[in-house]
Amino acid sequence: MQAAHDIALSVKDLKTYFYTNNRCNKAINGVSFEIRKGKTLCVVGESGCGKSVTASTIMQLLPALSRIEQGQVTYHSDNGDVEIEKLERDGQEMRAIRGSEIAMIFQDPMTALNPVYTIGFQIGESLKYHTNLNSKEIRERTIDLLRDMGISLPEMRVDDYPHQFSGGMRQRAMIAMAMSCNPKILIADEPTTALDVTIQAQIFELMEKLKTEHETAIMLITHDMGVVAELADDVAVMYMGNIVEAGTVDQVLRNPVHPYTRALLDSIPVLGKGKDQIISPISGSTPDPYNRPIGCQFAPRCSYKTDVCDVMPEEVNVDKTRRVMCWNYKDLLPNGE
Amino acid sequence: MLIYIIRRVLIFIPMLLVISFLVYGALELTPGDAVSALINPEVSGRLTEAQFNELREAYGLNKSFLARYGIWLANVFQGNFGHSLAGGVPISTIFLDRLPATLELSVVALLFSTIMGCILGTFSALKRGSIADSSLTVVGMLGVSIPEFFFGLVALLIFALNLGWLPVGGRLLPGYDSIWDRAPHIIMPAMVLSLMMTAGVMRYARSSMLDALSKEFIKTARSKGLPEWRINLMHGFRVALTPVVVLIGFRLPLLIGGSVIIEQVFQWPGIGNAFIAAVRGSDYPLVMMIALFSVFSVLLASLVIDVLTALIDPRVRLN
Amino acid sequence: MVSRSLNKKFDKILAREEAGNLTSKTGNRSLRKMMNNRLAVVGLILFSIILFTAVFAPLITSADPMKINLRNMSQPPSWEHWFGTDKTGRDVLARVLYGGRVSILVGLGSGIISAIIGVLIGAYTGYKGGWLDVIALRVSELFMSFPQIILVLLLVSIIGQSLINLMIIFVLTGWGGMYRMARARMLSLREEEYVQALQSFGLSTPVICYKHILPNALGPIMVNITLSTAAFILAEAGLSFLGLGVPAHIPTWGNILNVAQEIRVLQNYWWMWLPVGAIISLFVLSVNFIGDGLRDATDPSQQG
Repeated sequence: MQAAHDIALSVKDLKTYFYTNNRCNKAINGVSFEIRKGKTLCVVGESGCGKSVTASTIMQLLPALSRIEQGQVTYHSDNGDVEIEKLERDGQEMRAIRGSEIAMIFQDPMTALNPVYTIGFQIGESLKYHTNLNSKEIRERTIDLLRDMGISLPEMRVDDYPHQFSGGMRQRAMIAMAMSCNPKILIADEPTTALDVTIQAQIFELMEKLKTEHETAIMLITHDMGVVAELADDVAVMYMGNIVEAGTVDQVLRNPVHPYTRALLDSIPVLGKGKDQIISPISGSTPDPYNRPIGCQFAPRCSYKTDVCDVMPEEVNVDKTRRVMCWNYKDLLPNGE
Repeated sequence: MLIYIIRRVLIFIPMLLVISFLVYGALELTPGDAVSALINPEVSGRLTEAQFNELREAYGLNKSFLARYGIWLANVFQGNFGHSLAGGVPISTIFLDRLPATLELSVVALLFSTIMGCILGTFSALKRGSIADSSLTVVGMLGVSIPEFFFGLVALLIFALNLGWLPVGGRLLPGYDSIWDRAPHIIMPAMVLSLMMTAGVMRYARSSMLDALSKEFIKTARSKGLPEWRINLMHGFRVALTPVVVLIGFRLPLLIGGSVIIEQVFQWPGIGNAFIAAVRGSDYPLVMMIALFSVFSVLLASLVIDVLTALIDPRVRLN
Repeated sequence: MVSRSLNKKFDKILAREEAGNLTSKTGNRSLRKMMNNRLAVVGLILFSIILFTAVFAPLITSADPMKINLRNMSQPPSWEHWFGTDKTGRDVLARVLYGGRVSILVGLGSGIISAIIGVLIGAYTGYKGGWLDVIALRVSELFMSFPQIILVLLLVSIIGQSLINLMIIFVLTGWGGMYRMARARMLSLREEEYVQALQSFGLSTPVICYKHILPNALGPIMVNITLSTAAFILAEAGLSFLGLGVPAHIPTWGNILNVAQEIRVLQNYWWMWLPVGAIISLFVLSVNFIGDGLRDATDPSQQG
C-alpha cells in the first residue's frame, strides 16, 4: 500500500445503480481503487462494463435516474479529505471541485464542445468560475493554454468555433479546458477513440507531459491494450461492474491472474509476432445487465470455470499491489509463486 | 453573411415570379373583363365599346399572354395592384387600409406565442416527468386540438358577452388612439390567435430542449463546475433555440392563415377579413392579390427566419 | 444525492429487482409501448367512441338531421332532444352524429389520400433522384409557400363549393408535407447497405423502393397521417364555419357551428354550438394523442 499522501483519490466499495425503464441496472457493483498522484491509472474493459459510469460517479455527473448506492469516493485535497459521494449532486461544493480540482475530458471532442460558442469562450468559462481573473486576463490565459497544447496561432484560433477545428485540435482544446485550472486529477474517458492513430500518439504525449510537469493524477479509461502498455502505471480491469483484476502495469499485462484479463490479452494480435500468431477471441458475449449470471459474472464465458464459480468471488490480495476477483486465480499464477 | 443573404434572396425571386405567373393565369381564367379589373368601374360603366377597345390597346390587352403578364407585373411592381370589383376601390388602397390591423394582430400574437412557448417548453423540459410537465403536455395537446375559432367563440361568450370585460369585436373607435384604447380590443383576438402557435412552440421547445440537454457538451459544461442556470440557459437553451426558430418560421403561414378566421370571428378589420369578403363576393382581382401578397409575406418571413438562424448558429453562418 | 421522491421510487424498483420479479419483456415492442402510453390509449378509446357513434348514427338517434320542425324551434336540451334543437327545429344531436360522418370522412379521407399520393411520389422520386425529383420538389415548394387556408379559399373561389371539391382541394394542399417527409426518409434509407445489396441482385426500382424501403418509413407515415387528419378536420370546421367549406345543406361539424357567427345564438342558444365544438376538439385531441403515441412507439431513439 502507498502512503496516504501519495494518493489523490480513493474509491472504496462503490456501487452505482441505474433505474431506467422501471428496471434496476447494477452498473457498478462494488468497486475499489486508488489514483496515485503523478501516476496514470488505466481502467480497461469492454463497452458497457462500467468504466465510464465509474468516471461519472467520481464527478457526480450521473444521469437523473441513477444513484450511488453505497461506498466512498474520497478526494484527498491539500486541505483535507472530501467525501464526494456525500456532496449534493450539483451543489456548490461539488461544483467547486469540478473543473478546478478534478477535470474530465471526453471521448468525442466534437459532441463534447458546444457548437455555438467559440473555443476561447468555452475554455474561459472554467477560468471565470474558478479563478479571480478578469476578462482580459482570462483571454490571455486561454491563449497561453492553447499555445501550451501545441495549437498554432492561438491568438486567432481562440475565436474559432469547434466546427472550424480538426478532430485532434478539438481534443487539444478539450484538454486545455480541462487543464485550465491545474486540476489535481484528470479523468480521460477514451480520449482518443474518435481520433486518427497519429493524432492519438500526439494527444498521449501531451498527457504524459502534463502528468510529469504538474504532478496530475490521471485516470485513463480505454479499451485499447496498446494504450495501457504505453501509458499506464497502474491498471484496473473491469467486467460487468466489477474490477476483476488490478495491479501495476507490469503485473497485469505480463502475468494476468484473472481468466478475463488473460482472455482479453489473448484476443489482441501483437505487433512483430508475424501473421502466424494465434488469436483467440473471448467466447460468448457480455451478459444482459438485466439478466445477470448468478455468482461470478464471467463464469459462463470462462474456461477455468468450476462449481465454486456459482458464488460471487471475493476480492483477494495476491500481493501488496495486486488484487483479483476469482476463485481459481491460483491456477493462473506462474509456477513457483 | 451578406453573400448568404443575397443567395437566399436569389432563391426567393424565381419562386415569387412563378407564383405571380400562376396567379395572373388564374386571374385571366376567371370571369370578368381584364379592363374592369384595371380601372375604376365607375368610369368604365360610362365608356363606349370603342373607348373600351382603345383602353385595351393602351393597356396592351390585345397582346400575347406573356406580354400582358409582363405589363401586369410591371404594374404590380409600381404598386398598381388593380381595382377591386366591389366598389371599384384600388386594391393598393385596401392594402394600406387593412394591413396595419393585420400586422398589429399577427405581431402581437407572434411575440406572445414565441415568448410564452419558449418559457413554458423550457420549464417543462427542465421539470421533466413532474406533474407540472405532464399537465403542460396535456394542455399543449388541447391547444393544438381546439379549433381556434371555437376557442374564440367561447372567449367571446365569457369575456365579452357574460362578463363584459372586453369589447365584442372591432379594432378601435374613431378618435381613440392611445395604447389603453387599443389594448382591450387586441387582447382577445391576439390571445386566441396565438393559442395554437404557443402550444406548438411549447411542445417543440420542450423536445428541442430535452434533446439539447442530453448532448455531451452539457456534461462537459457540468464537468467544468458551472452553475445549473448557466448550463441550462447558456448551453442548453441557446442550442435548443435554433430548431425552435426554424419551427416558428414553418408555422408562420399557419399564423397568417389562422388570422383569416380569427379576424372574421372578432370582426377585426384586417386583410383576412377583406379576403373572406372577396372570396364570398367572387371579387377575383382582390382574392388573387391577397393570395399573392400572403405568399410574398410567407417567403419574406422565411427569409428573415433564415437570416436569424444564421445569426444565432455559427455552424450555419460560417458555412 | 438524489431527491427524496426519486429515492423512494428507486428503493421500490430495487426491492422488486432483488426479489426477481422483473424479467425481460417479450412481444411487439412498439405495440407494448403504445399501450403503456396512457394518453394514447385514452385517445384510441375516444376516437373509437366518436367514430362508432357517427357510423352507427341511426342506431343511436331516430331523429332525422334534415327534418325541419318549425313548431319546435330553438328548444333547449331535453329528454327528447339531448342537445336541443336548432333555429329550424332540427335535432342537434342527430345533426352532430350525421355531421360527424361527413367531417370524419373529409378529414380521414383527405388525410389518407394525400398520404398515398405524397408517399408514392416522394418515395419514388426520392429514391430515383434526377429531374423528376427536382420538379416534384419545386411543385411541392410552390404549394407550401401559400398559407394553407389562403390557398384553400383561393381554390374554393375558383372551382366552387362542394364536398368532392373540398376533398380535392385538401389533397392538393396537403400532399406536399407527406411528400417531403417520404422523400427525406427515402434519401437517408437509400444509402443503407441493404439497398445496395438489393440493387446488386438486380431488383427493379419500384420493387426496391416500394416493397423493401417503404415499410421502413411506415412509422413516420402513420404519424403524419394522424397529424394531417387532425389538420383537415380543423380546416373543414373553420371553412364551413365561414360558410365556405362544405355546402350549407349538408350537416357537418363546421356547418353546425356556422350559426354561432350570430351574437344572439352565441349568447342565448349555447346548445347549438358548444357541444359540437367540444366534440370537434375531443376528436382532434384523440387523433393527436394517437399520433403522439405512435410517434413515441415507432421512434427507436426514444426509451420510455
